[in-house]
Amino acid sequence: MGPAPAGQQQRGSTSTGEPEVMELALEGLGKEKASSRKRAQAEAPAEGLPQPVKLSREELYKEPTNEELNRLRETEILFHSSLLRLQVEELLKEVRLSEKKKERIDAFLKEVIKRIQKVPPVPEAELTDQSWLPAGVRVPLHQVPYAVKGSFRFLPPSQITIVGSYPLGTCMRPDINVDVVLTMPREILQDKDGLNQRYFRKRALYLTHLAYHLARDPLFGSVRFSYPSGCHLKPSLLLRPHGKDERLVTVRLYPCPPLDFFRPCRLLPTKNNVRSAWYRGQSCPDYASLEPPTPHYNTWILQDTALEAHMHLLSSVLASAQGLKDGVALLKVWLRQRELDKGLGGFNGFLISMLVAFLVSKRKIHTTMSGYQVLRSVLQFLATTDLTINGISFSLSSDPSLPSVADFHQLFAVVFVDPSGRLNLCADVTASTYNQVQYEAELSMALLDSKADDGFQLLLMTPKPMIQAFDHVVHLRPLSRLQAACHQLKLWPELQDNGGDYVSAALGPLTNILVQGLGCRLHLLAHSRPPVPEWAINQDPPKHKDAGTLTLGLLFRPEGLTSVIDLGPEADRPEAAEFRQFWGSRSELRRFQDGAIREAVVWEAESLSEKRLIPHQVVTHLLALHADIPDTCIHYVGGFLDALIQGPRETSSTGEEALALAVRCYDDLSRLLWGLEDLPLTVSAVQGAHPVLRYTEVFPPAPVRPAYSFYNRHQELASLLPRLDKPCPAYVEPMTVVCHLEGSGQWPQDAEAVQRVRAAFQLRLAEVLTQQHRLQCRATATHTDVLKGGFVFRIRVAYQREPQILKVVRSPEGMISMRDTPASLRLERDTRLLPLLTSALHGLQQQYPAFSGVARLAKRWVRAQLLGEGFTDESLDLVAASLFLHPEPFTPPSVPQVGFLRFLYLISTFDWKNNPLIVNLNSELTAEEQVEIRSSFLAARTQLPVMVIVTPQDRRSSVWTQDGPSAQILQQLVSLAAEALPILEKQLMDPRGPGDIRTVFRPPFDIYDVLIHLTPRHIPRHRQAVDPPAASFCRGLVTEPGPSSLMPVLGYDPPQLYLAQLREAFGDLALFFYDQHGGEVIGVLWKPSSFQPQPFKASSLKGRMVVSRGGELVTVPNIEAILEDFAVLGEGLVQAVEARSERWTV
Amino acid sequence: MVSRRKKQKAGGHEGSVPSPPGYSAVPVKFSEKQQASHYLYMRQHRVRQGTQSTWPANRTLFILNVPPYCTQESLSRCLSSCGTIKTVELQEKPDLAESPKEPKSQFFHPKPVPGFQVAYVVFQKPGGVSAALNLKGPLLVSTESHPVKNGIHKWISDYEDSVLDPEALRLEVDTFMEAYDKKIAEEETKAKEEEGVPDEEGWVKVTRRGRRPVLPRTEAASLRVLEKERRKRARKELLSFYAWQHRETKMEHLAQLRKKFEEDKQRIELMRAQRKFRPY
Repeated sequence: MGPAPAGQQQRGSTSTGEPEVMELALEGLGKEKASSRKRAQAEAPAEGLPQPVKLSREELYKEPTNEELNRLRETEILFHSSLLRLQVEELLKEVRLSEKKKERIDAFLKEVIKRIQKVPPVPEAELTDQSWLPAGVRVPLHQVPYAVKGSFRFLPPSQITIVGSYPLGTCMRPDINVDVVLTMPREILQDKDGLNQRYFRKRALYLTHLAYHLARDPLFGSVRFSYPSGCHLKPSLLLRPHGKDERLVTVRLYPCPPLDFFRPCRLLPTKNNVRSAWYRGQSCPDYASLEPPTPHYNTWILQDTALEAHMHLLSSVLASAQGLKDGVALLKVWLRQRELDKGLGGFNGFLISMLVAFLVSKRKIHTTMSGYQVLRSVLQFLATTDLTINGISFSLSSDPSLPSVADFHQLFAVVFVDPSGRLNLCADVTASTYNQVQYEAELSMALLDSKADDGFQLLLMTPKPMIQAFDHVVHLRPLSRLQAACHQLKLWPELQDNGGDYVSAALGPLTNILVQGLGCRLHLLAHSRPPVPEWAINQDPPKHKDAGTLTLGLLFRPEGLTSVIDLGPEADRPEAAEFRQFWGSRSELRRFQDGAIREAVVWEAESLSEKRLIPHQVVTHLLALHADIPDTCIHYVGGFLDALIQGPRETSSTGEEALALAVRCYDDLSRLLWGLEDLPLTVSAVQGAHPVLRYTEVFPPAPVRPAYSFYNRHQELASLLPRLDKPCPAYVEPMTVVCHLEGSGQWPQDAEAVQRVRAAFQLRLAEVLTQQHRLQCRATATHTDVLKGGFVFRIRVAYQREPQILKVVRSPEGMISMRDTPASLRLERDTRLLPLLTSALHGLQQQYPAFSGVARLAKRWVRAQLLGEGFTDESLDLVAASLFLHPEPFTPPSVPQVGFLRFLYLISTFDWKNNPLIVNLNSELTAEEQVEIRSSFLAARTQLPVMVIVTPQDRRSSVWTQDGPSAQILQQLVSLAAEALPILEKQLMDPRGPGDIRTVFRPPFDIYDVLIHLTPRHIPRHRQAVDPPAASFCRGLVTEPGPSSLMPVLGYDPPQLYLAQLREAFGDLALFFYDQHGGEVIGVLWKPSSFQPQPFKASSLKGRMVVSRGGELVTVPNIEAILEDFAVLGEGLVQAVEARSERWTV
Repeated sequence: MVSRRKKQKAGGHEGSVPSPPGYSAVPVKFSEKQQASHYLYMRQHRVRQGTQSTWPANRTLFILNVPPYCTQESLSRCLSSCGTIKTVELQEKPDLAESPKEPKSQFFHPKPVPGFQVAYVVFQKPGGVSAALNLKGPLLVSTESHPVKNGIHKWISDYEDSVLDPEALRLEVDTFMEAYDKKIAEEETKAKEEEGVPDEEGWVKVTRRGRRPVLPRTEAASLRVLEKERRKRARKELLSFYAWQHRETKMEHLAQLRKKFEEDKQRIELMRAQRKFRPY
């Protein structure tokens, strides 16, 4: 676990989610208090916190040594900054193999080679006659069709060579593989072995025999088969040492043909080496000229022949230059964090090393470059070169018999030709994979160029799992459906080429169809690569369908995502037929407003959340139409979390429309305010200051239509009052609007008087609004409530200079100075910062339509975990905003689900103790300012709250987190997030469906000492609960529309009133946790420190009693009475107080 | 540690309730129904010598640990058996020097949510105090004849109270502003009279309102002046003129780099301690 907010050191490694967590946290509180007292005495620096560096003057200004100057210069030239250099060095240290381990591996390798040479030969037998194989071992290959001419015998390898990353020194922890090439003796092979998989059959049999003998050797802990590159024709044997070194290393054995055995011209990509007659079992002898080329099959043979040549090339390039090796290692980390390196067609370490070698040969990389520069250059190259269009070739030969790059493009999606000119190194890489690599490279380059302080962290240390990187994810399951798809798509030649691997054969065409169909909605489509299987030698190799699931990731363009119509060509154009064919029955002829008659596809979607799921309709339709994949096989993950932010009776919308309705009503109101006449001063600004007005209220308000019979009435003020004999009425929260009045000399210069003048304005405002616009108003000293269109707005009049007036301090000498006071800070926050924040986030919502959903899901989750009280609304909104403004290494989310996952990731990994979260609203902070903010943060760390969020308006004090959370609450949230994220990710990545998506939203109750159960009758928001109740009470609303003329009951929420009383009375003794959205239980945690007996003090006797302990009079909490107080204070609301007395002792 | 049951017995046992020296402990309950009780710790109000207190020393009873549901009325009802009560004042904290508070405007100072409080009870006669100290209890806050509202009842009535009459507010504001305007007017006339008139030592007071207004005496203004001076001086200075200046800037740059390097090293050290370099 990465994060370490204050107080973790004392607690050591907290095991997340255990019931003890909170208790531990609270004990930590006590200890911390004690230690802080000690600290104050000793004036020692706070432990774990970075202290400003203090170098003595002497040290700072001493004469530099040559060495030091060199290092400084090197850092300046080769790296971004000294920090980056140190970080890179640390990372390499972490992934590189230690010398000690290398020695152990070398010793093991020596043994392996010795054992292999001792494997006894077997006499010659027909390939189809495998009776000589001993029992207990199976051939690691699907022999389909079984009949192959030719014979096989086993002889020990003629040569054993170690190749790959291990001898090159670019091998990386944690999984260390050593590739050993066994050259099969010439006697085993025959002429034309390249034809009809004969070579691969022999290769497999060779391994089978080896496996049988090596498995009996006690040297090896495990002997298994695998397809290391994902290609199912080329198994290899995995050997792991016995005993404690089993995890240390995996030796992979690759049999390969002797040098020059195959005639290269037979294996050119355009040639056919798998005869249709043989493959399909038909006898159609006279079509030799029509045989389709088998480029992939040929490539797989060529790869085996070129192993050594590639090894020579790489070792000659990399051997001399440490910088290049470092670069390759960094690139491998980069690829692995993006899940790009594994499986068939992955961008593996070999490919990236060859790319580095290529760039060296093209002089784009120099051997003196540092690892960081190599990384940068390769990313730059990848970002700017599209290998799917402009392939590259290593080959310098001008032999006309060799195919040109253009020829390769005909047969392969991605082209990178090796020095021989015959082998495409990227043969198995699909266009989607390469596009993904290119896209990632572009993002990373942008990140490196932006000079962000934590570029290293984002680039190399942050994993990008598919579910967090892509907006929607599609699982196709079971894979056997793809076999039918191959037939539907007429992919027989591809199947023949791929040796029957229908998943790889169908992948390219399927992705092409989806990319075309999703069109302008789509930014990037990526697919999972089948994982690398591993199996015991006495088992049959896994079948293609055993790869489980094919997962597609869709990344959207927000601007195109929500369009409900896909425009086609005009009806009389020739493309129209093509369009109709592509879309099938969904294509309609439509006449548009501009008179054009066009083909078009129209999707049904009303609300924003439905529009976001249009790609689901597209994918289902196209796959069923073109590939015959029914929707039962398509598991679309995109909107599962929407249910949690849908209103109680809502099924199709996630509330964006309801919020927009409220905002429109507010806009109308603000126009009215602007136009008001007869006010003594004019209105200078009207600003929203409520979560609804920045689209982040979890459950948007609905227009209120009260049923009058449900309430008491206050006749004079035309207001409704709650009734004792009815259930609690619906909760209506007034939306705060700040209304600034112009400055004038008339305003008094005294705080008390300003308050009175403001009250007079509130009264006047109510009068004027009622007279001029017939709005129901109610004024108090601090605000005016206005009922408009069923919504209630709370207008607060503000005077811009009032915070200044509150700040004025007069020193004894008569000097007037400004000092922040709690009152002035509060007023400034409410009347200046909050409206600014609200308008900035309102703007953000216009830019990123998914913001509302993400922020609301995030708040919903935090509150559902009963921690809502510790975090202000604004702080959570800002954290959500940071996911959009600083999405690196991702792009801003387009749907709520992925945003919520990233929120959990951010919360669980962000190091609040050592970093401020900078939320650069409207990009007002420059890079230099951000650097300055970070350094001043470190200097002032001890005075700042545990969670620091910096915005351009609030650069120093982090106003929204000033009053909480405490270190313990934050730590609890962090551990809950760290626990929830993997559960949720697993649920969403489970192709069988997510199961119960609400699991991570249910809070743990076993950590609390006392549970107070509330009666639903008096919980006004009961229906908003995470698990919506089947039945609840009538809340005094009518459904038919009609304007209400009476002011509804405002802000009346008995659980909140109850909590306020509890916190006031027992805040010193206990913490209270509650979910304001329909929670039925209040969790109570005693503070361990308050349970300590304390000496009698008149000022701190709240709820305590005096007892004598060992002859001394001390005070302890009067738990018996307090538990009864819980019931007394909440009479009518509290159903039961459940004390878990086994959890505490007084 | 005392188990629950044992403690209940100890609590219920009369007379054995320990109390700190000088105080007497009186159990108090919300109503008959409750089993356990809180304890009010009472004593006669005393102050240390030299401190001022406006509470009458011999007639005032000081009570600690008054439960949140206890109101002034219920407290005075509970203690009425001891003697006639003049006033009951509930406060958040013991406040020796303060006098009884002025009643605050309900419009501008909404009622706070009560927690555990302290009370000053002033009796008509000194005898009331000693009678109260000998109370046995348990006192009941809410009885059938005088119920105290709590829970839903209290919140609904609080809500009703919070809907205030705007006319009353207007009246209060008008009275306040009238008084304020009068005060300001008085101050102005006084200032005008004093203008230009030297006092007995011959000093003339100069204010902003006079014929020749002066700089306001604020911190911001004096900072502004200092800043202006500093800029003026900086303009005159020569930079990169002497060889030593050049040498010094170079050295300064090196020192900056060194400092940065040290800082970075420290950050790395911290990250390493947090295992920040294990990529997966």
